[in-house]
Amino acid sequence: MSTAIEAAVVAVIVATVVVAVAWPFLSPERGAPEQALSPRDRNRLELMERRDAAYAGLRDLEQDHRTGKVGDEDYQSERRRLRAEAAGALRGLDTLDSEPDTSSPEE
Amino acid sequence: MPEQVLGRRLGGLTLATVGSALLLLVLALVTYATVASVLAGLRRDRRLMRSAGNAVMAAFVCTVSAVVLLEIALVRHDFSIAVVLQHTSRTLPTPYLLTSLWASQPGSLLLWLTVLTGASSLVTLQNRHKNRELMPWVTAVLGGCMVFFASMATIISSPFERTAGVVPHDGFGLDPSLQNPYMAAHPPALYLGYVSFAVPFAFAMAALITRRTDARWLASVRRWTLFAWASLGVGMLLGAHWAYVEIGWGGYWGWDPVENAALMPWLAGTAYLHSVMVQEKRGMLKVWNVVLVTATFALSIFGTFLTRSGVVDSIHSFVQSPVGPALLVFLSIVLAFATTLLVWRLPLLRSDHKLESVVSREATFLFNNLLLLAFAFVILWGVVFPLLSEAVRGVRSTVSVPYYNFFLVAFGLPLLALTGIGPLIAWRRATPGSLWRTFRWPVISAAAGGALLALLGLGSSWPGLTAFSLCIFVTVTIGLEFARGASARRAIAGGSWPRALVDLVSRNRRRYGGYVVHLAVVLLVVGIAASGAYGSVNQAVLKPGQSMQVGGYTLTYTGMRSTTGPNYVDTAARLVVSRGGSTQGTLYPAVRDFTDHTVKTQSNEVDIRHDLRGVDVYTILQGADPSRNEVVIKALVNPMVSLIWLAGLVFVLGAAITIWPDPREARQLARRYSTALAKEA
Repeated sequence: MSTAIEAAVVAVIVATVVVAVAWPFLSPERGAPEQALSPRDRNRLELMERRDAAYAGLRDLEQDHRTGKVGDEDYQSERRRLRAEAAGALRGLDTLDSEPDTSSPEE
Repeated sequence: MPEQVLGRRLGGLTLATVGSALLLLVLALVTYATVASVLAGLRRDRRLMRSAGNAVMAAFVCTVSAVVLLEIALVRHDFSIAVVLQHTSRTLPTPYLLTSLWASQPGSLLLWLTVLTGASSLVTLQNRHKNRELMPWVTAVLGGCMVFFASMATIISSPFERTAGVVPHDGFGLDPSLQNPYMAAHPPALYLGYVSFAVPFAFAMAALITRRTDARWLASVRRWTLFAWASLGVGMLLGAHWAYVEIGWGGYWGWDPVENAALMPWLAGTAYLHSVMVQEKRGMLKVWNVVLVTATFALSIFGTFLTRSGVVDSIHSFVQSPVGPALLVFLSIVLAFATTLLVWRLPLLRSDHKLESVVSREATFLFNNLLLLAFAFVILWGVVFPLLSEAVRGVRSTVSVPYYNFFLVAFGLPLLALTGIGPLIAWRRATPGSLWRTFRWPVISAAAGGALLALLGLGSSWPGLTAFSLCIFVTVTIGLEFARGASARRAIAGGSWPRALVDLVSRNRRRYGGYVVHLAVVLLVVGIAASGAYGSVNQAVLKPGQSMQVGGYTLTYTGMRSTTGPNYVDTAARLVVSRGGSTQGTLYPAVRDFTDHTVKTQSNEVDIRHDLRGVDVYTILQGADPSRNEVVIKALVNPMVSLIWLAGLVFVLGAAITIWPDPREARQLARRYSTALAKEA
């Protein structure tokens, strides 16, 4: 009796797990199964990362300047550099958005 | 039908069989997840990756189910399962039946596996639509770790192993030192820390494999790293408190190898949390950060090896169990894998900038890293040396407390100074003018405070006095940071000071949460320095009516009392505590005899009185001789130990502020700067 219960419980667990693991192959998939980033996607991510890093850098620089940790001269030069970095990234993102996507995923 | 027979024939047999089957299923699932995610990474197949993710989550569900089954076996006294027999008894209170899961080696490894599959499932869920290139390799690395621990739990050290021969009516009982509420939280917190460090390690390896060595992987693991580091820190403090109230030697940290096992990865993790900021801000220390992430995870594995292999007791007990050699092999594979990848991708890890000045924040962080790593190495050597000497010479040498305390002072004091300097000094370079403006008040405060403390008689310990002065220095720097920041915030947005402070912290959680953690470090150092350098101790043989003196307190022994618990009998000495002639309370240090152990088992139950001035009167019953009507009492006066526990609460607060996600942050920054840049253009 107990052996039969054990076997049934284990069988139900195994069946549930197999269905869960196989589900992505059983369910209808939207879009292509490939998961590669296209060069355009990759470029966009890099630009967004550069932009976000520059924004965070500007915020911290302003905070350091206000609290007296960075002198005026260093503040101005670093601010110019970070703003140029952010502006460059934003320009790149604008250019990407205005161009049609003709790239294919990388192999 | 008697309970025990029912448990064995129906419940016990079923629990053990289903539990073992579940763990085998976990092994199959994580093996599949590892292979499938590697194939998904190579073939860029999203379906296969989703299937691997589902396997990881199914493995977590199965592991939790196995834990629940084992807990049921523990609560039902199912002694047909070996760990239940060896670590519990029928009279053990239910809370300790539940926590005895991690008293045994198989139970501990099951806990490791549970946390690891849980963390891996969470990573899978968090990154369903993110880090598409990294995730197959992250899952593969985490999968490799899961395969190892699932193999341990099924092949080498199964928690569902059956009791050999006739099943006894009662169990052997739980180790007395583990019958303490802190043991409910201490091991799980440590394991959360150890295991969660696998996540940053997996992302670092994935970044190297996919050549995505920019700062994105750092951002993806920032909260995981902080969580692991905070958990390990909390786990160590819980362990220190447990040692203080349970072990009964009067202290909270004895540089025991098991304590050191947790401290080493925490130190390496602390170094990483600082150096990662240098990579984010300046694009430097890329190789160093991968090395630190690897070292932190490797030291976590090494910590598990120390606590689980039996090597701490003897090199011989290590070779008798297959768990220790298996963990060492796993550690070697982790190190070899990470080193190979790092060397392979070295050309991608060049710094974007060079160090411009040794008087800069990045240089300060570098010094902080070197000191933290040097301290971790010193501890590692202290742990490994006795093992090596036993293996080579056959004689076990010991590395004693003064060795560790010397390096604690040598590395700890400069580190404390850097805790104050780092947040205030500028990136790239600091000028003499800015240094004077920034540091004059902290330095003047520290010098004045140190002089005042010396006048008050605290000059008897120069490390103690230096530590207190540096604590003043760090506290003033933190105070100035908050004051200047809030002032700047008010200049921009107006409003009250409290409002400005709340705004300041909520807009810069990482920075100001970090400062709160620094404040916790100050409290910790004051507690350690005061209790270590200015404490008192005395031991005396007393008859009823006799007194002893310690640190300005008088303890008068007035007799014995006996109390009975569910599985023990306490024999306590009654001590009346007085100071300056006024009675302050009564303490009952005791010896506890456990009634549920087959061999005579005793533990010391200390009693502590917490003074309003932050002083602990700590009493231990060292011995009792009823025939001569005498007791041996050891008493300590420990000043400011409570600050160490307060530091724990402040540490949790700071870590929570830093970890707490702020989804508005990116949007606010984008709104603020994109508008400003558009206007300029």
